[in-house]
Amino acid sequence: MQVFKAMTRVMRKRLLSAMIYIIVFLVISVFIANVSNKDNKFELTKLRICVFDEDDTPESRALTEFIGKSNDLVELENDRDTMIDALYYMQVNYVLTINKGYAEKIAAGDTADLFGSYHIDESYSVVYMGQFLDEYTTSVKAYLAMGRTMDEAVAATEESLSQETQVDMLRVDKAGNSHFSVDFSMYFQYMPYVLVSAVMIVICQVLVTMSRKDIRFRTNCSCLRDSEYTFQLFFGSGLFVLGVWLLLMIVGAVINEEMYSGRAWLAVFNSLIFSVVVAAIAVFVSSFEPKDNVLNLITQILGLGMSFLCGVFIPTSMLSGSVLSAARFMPAYWYIKANNMIADIQPYSFEGVMKCYGVQLLFVAALVLLTLLVRRVKYSGAAIGTSVKKAAVS
Amino acid sequence: MSNTVVKIKDLVKRYGDLIALDHFSLEIEQGEIFGLLGPNGSGKTTTINCLLSLLSFDKGDIEIFGKKMTPVSYDIKKEIGIIMQNVAVFEELTVYENIDYFCGLYITDKAKRRACVEEAIKFVGLEDFRRFYPKKLSGGLLRRLNIACGIAHKPKLIILDEPTVAVDPQSRNRILEGIQQLNRDGATVIYTSHYMEEVEQICTRIAIMDKGRKVAEGTKDELKRMIKNTETITIEILELPEKVYGEISSLPHVYDTSHSDGKLSVYCSGGKHNLTRVLDVLQKNELGFGRVYTELPTLNDVFLEITGTALRDKED
Amino acid sequence: MFLHILKYELKNGLRNKDLIIWLILFPIVLGTFFKIAFGSVYEKTEKFSTIPVAVVETAENQAFRQVLESIESADEPFLSASFVNKEKAEKMLDDGDVEGIIFSGDKLSLTVKEKGIQETMLSAFVKQYSVREKIATDALTAAPEKAQEVIAALTGETVSSCREIPLTQGNPDIYIQYFYNLIAMVALFGCMTGMHITITNQADLSALGARNNCSPAHKSLSVLAGFAGSCVLQTICMVICVTFLAFVLRVDFGDRLPLVYPAAILGGILGVAFGFFVGSLARVGEKAKTAILMTTTMLLCFFSGLMIGNMKAFVAEKVPWLNEINPAALTSDCFYCLNLYEDYDRFISKLITMAVITVIFIFLGFITSRRKKYASI
Repeated sequence: MQVFKAMTRVMRKRLLSAMIYIIVFLVISVFIANVSNKDNKFELTKLRICVFDEDDTPESRALTEFIGKSNDLVELENDRDTMIDALYYMQVNYVLTINKGYAEKIAAGDTADLFGSYHIDESYSVVYMGQFLDEYTTSVKAYLAMGRTMDEAVAATEESLSQETQVDMLRVDKAGNSHFSVDFSMYFQYMPYVLVSAVMIVICQVLVTMSRKDIRFRTNCSCLRDSEYTFQLFFGSGLFVLGVWLLLMIVGAVINEEMYSGRAWLAVFNSLIFSVVVAAIAVFVSSFEPKDNVLNLITQILGLGMSFLCGVFIPTSMLSGSVLSAARFMPAYWYIKANNMIADIQPYSFEGVMKCYGVQLLFVAALVLLTLLVRRVKYSGAAIGTSVKKAAVS
Repeated sequence: MSNTVVKIKDLVKRYGDLIALDHFSLEIEQGEIFGLLGPNGSGKTTTINCLLSLLSFDKGDIEIFGKKMTPVSYDIKKEIGIIMQNVAVFEELTVYENIDYFCGLYITDKAKRRACVEEAIKFVGLEDFRRFYPKKLSGGLLRRLNIACGIAHKPKLIILDEPTVAVDPQSRNRILEGIQQLNRDGATVIYTSHYMEEVEQICTRIAIMDKGRKVAEGTKDELKRMIKNTETITIEILELPEKVYGEISSLPHVYDTSHSDGKLSVYCSGGKHNLTRVLDVLQKNELGFGRVYTELPTLNDVFLEITGTALRDKED
Repeated sequence: MFLHILKYELKNGLRNKDLIIWLILFPIVLGTFFKIAFGSVYEKTEKFSTIPVAVVETAENQAFRQVLESIESADEPFLSASFVNKEKAEKMLDDGDVEGIIFSGDKLSLTVKEKGIQETMLSAFVKQYSVREKIATDALTAAPEKAQEVIAALTGETVSSCREIPLTQGNPDIYIQYFYNLIAMVALFGCMTGMHITITNQADLSALGARNNCSPAHKSLSVLAGFAGSCVLQTICMVICVTFLAFVLRVDFGDRLPLVYPAAILGGILGVAFGFFVGSLARVGEKAKTAILMTTTMLLCFFSGLMIGNMKAFVAEKVPWLNEINPAALTSDCFYCLNLYEDYDRFISKLITMAVITVIFIFLGFITSRRKKYASI
């Protein structure tokens, strides 16, 4: 197992960089698992709203309070730049000014220009709150028209606006439990980036080192059988990939505080297949024997590229159709597709998931074939040609 | 006084507890090819680095061209050419550009510089490789580029720190010839190496270093005279009776003998006709023998004898 | 002499593969990914546009149909409805063609797929319908004689009660701050070029440094020439980066693009100065220095929001002073100020802070690289 031993030694040098990816991923996962609420029940989005009450009457205070019931009230300095900052970074979704004279105007049934809203864009929040305020004032006006007093009108408005409406989530049974928890699906969703980065960094480096010309020649001259050598290389690489994958699976179960069950096993199997894909990519890339800096660039491009294009970092629904059709040619797309089905983000079907598995395995087969092809070309005529050229130079 | 190019006096350099240079003194005259010889780690490179004011040292004085050497002695530096042990060239610049860059640090006049660079390229024989990047050069060519970068500005003092490490014999000969040529053109040369033959081939004066000290100094012949051995006689002979061996050992001027692997070695110190006497003994005893050859002492013998002695001294 | 060293510093730099890969290619690739990923997120999630819904009529509800029609006839309607059957509606929801399904019958109900502002708005809309119903019945039961007035109050063409006051003409897309931070990252990557100034000039760091030290070129002059060279290289990289983002990827930097360039270049010079300073530290090898620089750069970019968009606001809340000295945050803030603020006060104060930090780094770098002799090589 001499080759294997040497590999582990080379690996150790790169292990730290790989561990950084894994650790950062796990830390973020813990964070996400802690903040996310575990059920899939619909709830209204709470906006963060800042209210400047210039009228300061019981009526305006009542309105402020009512807004605060279904939203979070935030205090801000009344300063243009502060407001821009807060709105831009979404610390605040809406800045409302209740103009002076609000109480008098609304009592008189005049609903024009009661409020001012600072905004940096026509966002959903702005439209939503605009509608809400219109609805509120119209209702108050209507109740006043019924001959109620101001207090009664406000109270009645609040009552009617506080009605519940029935909202269901698609494909979620009424208890609010999906088959595969949201956290788990998030954990699996971000995994491709970590797998690509960590595995590529280590495996490519090792394989490139082991197949560097002088080392390869020396190994070829030794009494070690070629097949034995290849076997040890694959054994070492496979062991590492499997180790990373197992680590992620075990920590995943710990972080999400539940064991794998039911459909979760499909996701586990999906990630195993993807690990094999990544290993195949790593072997393929290293057969070109890239230099260190080029290798790093390739790793970054593959890791970030697949993550951005295939819906790892942002949900596939955000990506445009043309991006998605390009993404079909990348294995991560099929991984995410399967994961989305398992997590019920897309309609689930067992055959569908199997098809995604199949496509990923086809990628593995294609990569293996390509690797063999590249090696055949590199280590035969062409390679000798270039080395002769090099020798002629010196 | 004006003839002394380099003067090192009582130089002491410590790395923590390790004494790298121990009261090392040296004087080099103009026109010499001065060889600094010593095994790896004997302090040759440290000496050079101190001489160039790259390294700080604990004690001692260094003068070049009669002036004290400091890091800001730019007028002195102008006259020095330096060829480092490690190849010091820019990977991203071609052969021509590298030489031009370093030459440009010394010579600002463009026309003059171009002539110098061309001359240097010709001198090291890199005419066909002008546009090559260092990566594409073989070890020997790279060393030659390294040298060209150091000598293009025609310095009066050239310091070569093991310039021939890992160089093929062809390139090595070319380099050595080049150094002699530079010397003929008026440059003083300091040459460090642990290859005896090189130093023996080109140096006019040699200092031998060991453990940070100068253990011997002089011309080749002076150094050889310092050791006992003047001649080594080797005879191929399979069977050698004890009696005959004793007879040879007790011949005059013979101070040591050995017989192994069918080879008899006789070490002589001074005297004439040593070979004839040894052969007489063999013939007298009617012993047949194969090839016979004699060797004059080399610097290698000097080196081994001197440093070996020094070693034994310490152990005693 | 200065020009000679500068010339070769530039030649050297422009042929350096690391420089081309990390300061030119990598930002281009990453920028393209950002564009693909974040290009339409803001428009899809934040900026208001008509919300598509599917309406499934479980029973005849003429009134609701009318409401929908009147809404849809507006200039920029709040929603657009398509009347379909249940299966089709669910398929559309799955494919993201609609945001929700309204089942209209005696009572309205809503089915959605995600939780978000659009869904909240839909639920508010469904609620609004029942609110109106309730008010009308309230009116009819409590004061039927005034019902007419009430209905008028409810349905009368009302002017919006809320006047919108725009704060800025700039691009409000929060996701472009990823591009700001990308530029800041490239700027800070300048530290790698900066570090090489000292590597090639310090005898204890490289054989080249030793050779340069033996030459009669004044050390301060060659360091200065090296620094100037690095700044020129970095400027080239920054210009390429900004130009690529602004003209190829069409990232909207607001209407003051010409000022984005000098800000980016100053950021780049700050990066070079930072690398120059770290490079001049004694007793640290090249590898360790590279590691220090890369880690610091990525950490600074992290706190500035390269990886998580809202990071800067978070930092502003918890450790405000960090944003005031973090070079990455300062650089990206410059672009932010140019984009969103009308006056130049903040922009100029950011530039001044950057300049001060640059000068401090250069000063410290020169002080530490002045050492002429080395204890060991």
